This record gives sequence, C-alpha cells and structure tokens, in this order.
Amino acid sequence: MKLLIVEDEKALSDNIRAYLSRGDVICETALNFEEAQDKLLSFDYDIVLLDIMLPDGNGLNLLRLLKRLQPETGVLIISAKNALDDKVQGLELGADDYLTKPFHLPELNARLNAIFRRRKFQGYKILEFQEITVNTDTHDVHVDGKLLVLTVKEYELLLFFITNKNRVLTKQAIAEHLWGDNVDLLDSFDFVYQHIKNLRKKISAEEGADYIKTIYGLGYKFSAD
Amino acid sequence: MNLITKTTILYLLVAMLVFGIGGVVTFYLVQKEVQKETDFALRDNLNQITEEVAEGIPLSFIKRGKVDITDLGPIPRDTFFNFSDTLAPHPYLEGQMEPYRKITAVREVNGRYYQVSITDVFIETDDIYDVVVDIMLRLFFILTVAMLFFSFLITGWLFRPFQKTLERIRSFNLKEEKVLGLPETSTKEFRQLNAFVAQMAYKARRDYLSVKEFSENASHEMQTPLAIARGKLELLLETSALTDEQLALVQSAQQNIDKLSKLGNVLLLLTRIENKEFANNQKPVDFSWITRACLENFEELASLKGLALSSQVEPNVQIMVDPTLGDILVANLVKNAIRHNVAGGWVEVKLDADKLLVRNSGPAPRVPSEQLFERFQKSRHSDGSLGLGLAIVKKIAEVNNFQVSHRFSDGTHEVSLLFHP
Repeated sequence: MKLLIVEDEKALSDNIRAYLSRGDVICETALNFEEAQDKLLSFDYDIVLLDIMLPDGNGLNLLRLLKRLQPETGVLIISAKNALDDKVQGLELGADDYLTKPFHLPELNARLNAIFRRRKFQGYKILEFQEITVNTDTHDVHVDGKLLVLTVKEYELLLFFITNKNRVLTKQAIAEHLWGDNVDLLDSFDFVYQHIKNLRKKISAEEGADYIKTIYGLGYKFSAD
Repeated sequence: MNLITKTTILYLLVAMLVFGIGGVVTFYLVQKEVQKETDFALRDNLNQITEEVAEGIPLSFIKRGKVDITDLGPIPRDTFFNFSDTLAPHPYLEGQMEPYRKITAVREVNGRYYQVSITDVFIETDDIYDVVVDIMLRLFFILTVAMLFFSFLITGWLFRPFQKTLERIRSFNLKEEKVLGLPETSTKEFRQLNAFVAQMAYKARRDYLSVKEFSENASHEMQTPLAIARGKLELLLETSALTDEQLALVQSAQQNIDKLSKLGNVLLLLTRIENKEFANNQKPVDFSWITRACLENFEELASLKGLALSSQVEPNVQIMVDPTLGDILVANLVKNAIRHNVAGGWVEVKLDADKLLVRNSGPAPRVPSEQLFERFQKSRHSDGSLGLGLAIVKKIAEVNNFQVSHRFSDGTHEVSLLFHP
C-alpha cells in the first residue's frame, strides 16, 4: 500500500510513518499544502492521509484537487477540529473516512486497511492469517474451511486483530474500536476480555490455534509466534 | 400598543384636561365681561330714566317691566347706586327663576328724590355655558381628528427609517457575513440609533468569530500534541522486552491522555454551545427517532453492565432543536443513567410530546439536585466520568428554553426534561 501523509505536525507525521512502515505500507510525507500539491501532481498513491488544517491552505482544497487528478485514490481525513461541518463536507467531497485526533495508531491502521480493501479488487477482500480466512465483503469467517458464526462485535474484533497482526493492542484501543466514544461508560475493560474469551472459544471449537496472546495488564497481541 | 398610538392617546388625554380647564376659564371670563357690559348698559339706562324724569315724563310711563321707580318726596337723602344679583321669573318660561343683574339707585331730580331699580339680562349664564361647552367640544373633535391623521402620517413617513432598522435587527444573524444595511435617514436620533446598532452588530460578530476561532484553534493546538504523545507511547509498546512495570506506566499515561483529550473536547463543546454556534440551525427534529436510535446504541453497553433497559417512546415527537445538540442531549441523559447505576439495576426512558423522562436505579447523590448540573460534579463511584455530562445537558436545555430537573427518592434517580415549560 502506498500512502501519502499530509500533516503539518512533524512529530505526528513521524509517528504514523514509523508505525505503519513496520507493516507493508510505503509512506511518504508532506508537511504543508505546497509539498502535498507537488507530490499529488507527480505521483500516484493508494491512499492519502489528509489533515484539514494546514498552515498554508485548507486541506479540503487538496481533496478537491486529488479527486480531479486521481479519483480512485482513497482519502482518510484526520482533524482535530471535531467540527461536524468539516466531516460532512469532507465526506461529500469524496473522502472515504474521517478520524478525529488524538487517535490510536492501530485504529488508523485498521481504517486505512478498510479503505484499501474497499478501493481494490477482489483479491484484497479476503484476509488470510494462517488457517483463518475473513471475507470482508460477506463478513464470512472460516477456520480451516469451516464456517465460524460470530457476533458483529466478535467479527469486528477479529478483523481488528488481523489488520493489526503482530502489534500490541491495548484494551483501550480495542474498546474504542468496538464502542467508539461511549467507551468511557465501561468502568473497566472486562468487557473486552469477555469478547476475547468468546472469540477464542469459538476459534478453538473449530480446532483453530490460539493466536491471541495476552500481555499482562496491558492488552493483547495477535501473532503466530 | 405601539409608540404612536401611545403618544396620541397621551396627547389626547392632556388635551382633554387642557380643554376642560380652558372651558371653565373661558366661561368665567366671558361671564365677567358680559356682567361688565350689562352693568354699563344698566347705568346708561338709569341716566336715561333720570333724564326722562327731568323732562317731566310721568312716572307711570317710565315704569315698565324691567324698571321700577318710586317717588320718595323732597326730603333730602343720600344718592347712590349699587349692583346686585337677583333671581327673577323667566320672561317666557312659566315658573322658572333665572339669575338677573339689578341696579338700585337713589337720584335727585329737580329737588325731588327717586328710587330707581332696573333688572335686566343681556346674555343668560346658561347660554354662555352652552356656547363654551359647544366650542370646546368642537375644538376637541377637530384636534382628535388632526392628531389621528398626523399619527398615521408619522408612522408612515417619519418613523419609516426606525421601522426598517427594527426589521434589520430582527433578521440579524451572527453567522452571516453580510452587512446589516441600515436605512439612510435625516432624523438625528435615528442616525444615532443606526450608528449604535451597526457598532453593536460589528462587535457581536467580531466576538462571535473570535470565540469560534479560538475554540477551533484551541482544539487543534491541544489535540495534536496529545495525538503525538499517544502515538509515541504506542510506538514504545512496539519495542520489545518491556517489563510489566513499564507496561503499567505506559498504560496509565495513555489513560490520562485519553481523559485530557475528552476533557478538551467537552469543554470546547460547552464553549461552542455558549457561543450560540448551534443557535441558527434549529429545525424540527424527530426526538422519537433520536431516542430509539440512542437506546439501540447503548443496549449492548447496558447489558454488559447487567442493567435492564426499558423504554416507552411515543412516536413522532417533533422538537425544534439543532440536530447535533438533540443527539448529544439524549445520549448524555442515557449515558448518565447507565453510568451512575448499581449492579443489577435498571434504566427506564419515557418520551412524549411534552417531556423526556429518564429514570434509573442508583446510589443517593452526594450533593443536592441542583448542584448535579454544575461542572465537575462527580459521584464517588465512576472514576471514568469527567463530571460534565449533566452540565452539557443543562447548557443545551438553557439555549433551547427547555427545563431540566433532577429528583432522587427511594433509590431512584429521575431526570426530567420539559420541552415547553
């Protein structure tokens, strides 16, 4: 996946690049409107990560330009404004998704992958991890070819794990992915544990291996090691 | 009642008073003048009679209806004359007495003394009264008609710039860039008013924009470093071989970053509501739909906490509100009921055309009901809470003229939101 990060805050841009580069993402960065414009005119990207608030221009104008030049490129807007107008306007202009700062990096990764899958052809819509396959179109999950019946939340959890395989996922990041802003209602993260327990049970019932590693006190890691 | 009607009525009331007093004064002045003229005439009359007596016309000839003359003989006595008011029968109306003017005199003619009295009236008092009242009424009528006509004219022409200014103020919108467009006028007071209004509008708009800009920038400036800090911690987690103790520290730092970020968002939301940034986007919102969607949204979280969620939602409840604030309002009330609850408790939501009722089981509040709506009021139980949920509810209720109140009795919290208090 080839990604352009348009973000004026260098430290944040570095974070994203450092995090995503560990996967199979090729990241380029642009720190201002000019630079972003130059890069968009010269190169093709699968996805553009776009901060709306830039020091020398409005990110929404970049979005307009991009949609004219490369309509098939996916766009994920990141903004600290949390202003509904921007969100609606951004999505109307053709952005695929909208993420409010501060975000969890695994969440960003999951959203980028979701956009990538939606924009690309069939081959990308089937995720495979060892004996587990997930069809993101039909939401069917198979373990060793046997169909697994999952609840919506368990499916989302599994997808989150697979797109963030080999990465540490905190209970916080998982809870926010599953319940969004309302996660503060959960007094503890026991509920994450409940869902993970059920998912484990269902996978092992079909004789799948347990890839969900617990990191004590912190969270989980989905890996084959 | 508008300004012109009010001033017209006041003017007419004053006019009525002036005309009343004026009538009385006129009456007495005219009466005095008439009396003076009557007295002159009576004296002329007396002199004429004296001459007639001197010419030797017999007394019986001189003696007429109004004149009485008596021969007092040659014994000398004081000659004098004086005037007096008297009552005498009306010449035409039978049995009605009327005030008359009377001159009584003793005169000496050729060595003999005569007592003469003449009683006469030129204009009767009640005639004077009638005429004065008549004149006053006519004048008052003419004044009234003229006043009404002029007030009509004034509203139509003189006050037109004022009406226009009022109209522009009414349609004034903080969010719109367009100028107010106050009318040109040659009236000094209206020019001053327009200048003042234009200045106020400019100031209000500038304040609105500066708060709006501040809240947007504050959000950006605050959330970006938080995003960076959170990212750094996540990168730190990716490095291998952290000890359990280090992991716990990272975890705690992350939680606090979350909290700070949420706090920033909520405080900015409060500022934006206060700045009326949502005020111009009011439209009829289907609260039934919002409430059902919200309950559906929280169903899983409630069941995870072991709470029974029940509802009674009347269909098609339309309320005028900004849609975003409507969502936030209902969500905050339901969230609040879920958060401040007990194990195995319940939440009940009722919606009808007049009110939204959210009842739930829960521990007794630590502070009186009114204080619950203040900022940073937290119960002892939920550590994840910022203590701002109800403050937002109250603020939204305030800008929409809803009334929100809380009651606690027998282990039951009840928050009621009245749409039309």
